Amino acid sequence: MIRLENVKRTYTRHGQTVTALQCENLCISAGEYVAVIGPSGSGKSTLLSLLGGMLSPSSGRIWLDDMSVYEQPLTARATMRRERMGFVFQTFNLIPYLTALENVQVPLGLNGVSLPDQTAMATAMLQRFGLADRLKHKPSEMSVGQQQRVALARTLVNDPQIILADEPTGNLDPTSREVVLKAFDMCHEEGRTIITVTHDVTAAARAKRRLVLNEGQISEESSCWAKVA
Amino acid sequence: MNLRSLVWKELRERPWSVVSSSMAILLGVAALVAIRHVTVHSEQEVSRQLSSLGANILILPKDASLQNYYAADRNGQTLPEEHVTEVLMAGLAGVEKVTPKLSMPASLGGLEVTLTGILPQSEFTAQQAWQTAALFTPKKHDGCKKASHEPSEADKTPESLNTTRAIENLEKNQIVLGADVAERSAFSDGDTVELLGGTFIVLGTLTRTGTVDDSRVFAHLHTVQELAKSGEVVSAIEVIGCCEDAAGDLVPELSKLLPNARVVTVSQVVQTQVGVNRLMSGTSLFVLGTLVLVGGASLASAIAANVRERRREIGTLMAIGATPGFVQRLFLMKALVLGLVAGSIGCVIGLLTAVMIGPQWAGVVVLPLPGLAVMAVGAATLLAVMAAYWPARQAAKLDPCLCFQEV
Repeated sequence: MIRLENVKRTYTRHGQTVTALQCENLCISAGEYVAVIGPSGSGKSTLLSLLGGMLSPSSGRIWLDDMSVYEQPLTARATMRRERMGFVFQTFNLIPYLTALENVQVPLGLNGVSLPDQTAMATAMLQRFGLADRLKHKPSEMSVGQQQRVALARTLVNDPQIILADEPTGNLDPTSREVVLKAFDMCHEEGRTIITVTHDVTAAARAKRRLVLNEGQISEESSCWAKVA
Repeated sequence: MNLRSLVWKELRERPWSVVSSSMAILLGVAALVAIRHVTVHSEQEVSRQLSSLGANILILPKDASLQNYYAADRNGQTLPEEHVTEVLMAGLAGVEKVTPKLSMPASLGGLEVTLTGILPQSEFTAQQAWQTAALFTPKKHDGCKKASHEPSEADKTPESLNTTRAIENLEKNQIVLGADVAERSAFSDGDTVELLGGTFIVLGTLTRTGTVDDSRVFAHLHTVQELAKSGEVVSAIEVIGCCEDAAGDLVPELSKLLPNARVVTVSQVVQTQVGVNRLMSGTSLFVLGTLVLVGGASLASAIAANVRERRREIGTLMAIGATPGFVQRLFLMKALVLGLVAGSIGCVIGLLTAVMIGPQWAGVVVLPLPGLAVMAVGAATLLAVMAAYWPARQAAKLDPCLCFQEV
């Protein structure tokens, strides 16, 4: 379970303090599929960064099960991300000089998996996403849909309990978007927690719970999104 | 996929960036290795030339002149023999051999000769205190041998008096005849002769040198002192000093050590080459400085630029679980590879250059010095890692949230 307790994140710009995110209490249970909706600059990326242990709150606490995330040292938070979390990015963030297979191997390598096991696990994951014939292709040699599938394979290869996605369908055509959303459905069925930040109505509608983020304030779904669902 | 593969694949992806970022180190190492190889071999050549000339520093009585020495002045002033101990115990850099001499007039079968007492090198070896002093004598540069009284094969024959100005063994009742003396007296090896009232066996005769030594008879220093009743004195102390030291620092140091003696050098004959060596040593220091400044700055700037252009990749790696330490090692290992490769290639280029230009530039044959090559590659690698340390630290401190940004 993820819990935000009186979390506030502020930035100081040109002498002015801006509140990027404020949340009195938010609980996301294990296995929940949550979409966070909001306009640009509403604090969506800040929320994902806070949840991912990458941006410490100005005040308040974030709990992952019984662990207060920001009371852990940097290395422990890196281990937490490596072992329990997976990230999906809008622009895929594949490493350009690595092949599809190697990109998927990276998190395994960080987790200390041996090279033969890395190859076997990464190949199986890419096959699952229909990329068996693209193992040796570099990102620049693949379509955006294929790149996002490689990114999904990289996210899931370490078997994370929590998936944090930042506009995962933002750059995709309808077919590729469907592939990603189906993958999220499948992850949800497998009991993983999914928190996706999106502008995409269809993507948000697939989530079982929707949060609205506006000017840094989080609230539960609004009626219009409920209708779409 | 691990740290090593990530570094290797990134390097392979940007070959020109690799070449440009490590070019300064490569050229610096090449220049340094070439200059040092030529310098070291040139120093060795100077050392060899000086050795072939014999003593290059003379310690004479205060009022004596070189003229007195070359004329084998037999009635000149003397020095206390303890000056030999003082020189050895001082552990001065560059002192390779010390040979005290006491010359006196004598008659050999009616022939007027100069009887010269010398101290065999075995006497030095027997003196533990001298050995210890010699062992701790600091080595100044590669071209010179560490001061030592270890006998070489050449030292073990009487002929070594001609070649190295010293002899390993000479019993108190043995003499060695100069070429002229041997010819005129008709004595030969194994003959028994009378000198200054003492009886000696001829150990050997020297080949002609065209110097005053041809008319000398060499005997053990202490025997000559005893027969001449001169006490523990010597006419001169010959010092074989190491190339640059002989021409430079050693003379003032010896003068300071023995204020009541006159210290002169006869190494002017190799002054030009010593001058060239000094120039090259200076140049190599300049190149080393340039290598550190330009090579280090160039690599540091290349790694810093690499960190900037890979900000999102670093953020992504951190998001998927890379620790700051991993990110820092990623850039340090890249620098290490660059330093190692640039250093190795530079070393080979420098070595080839030295082998090719050595004979024309300094008139010496240059052979590879493995120790110097390893040191150059090691220094280049260390420099590269040190230069990359700061940008690598900055990379490790980057905000992982960069993975969510368009950069």
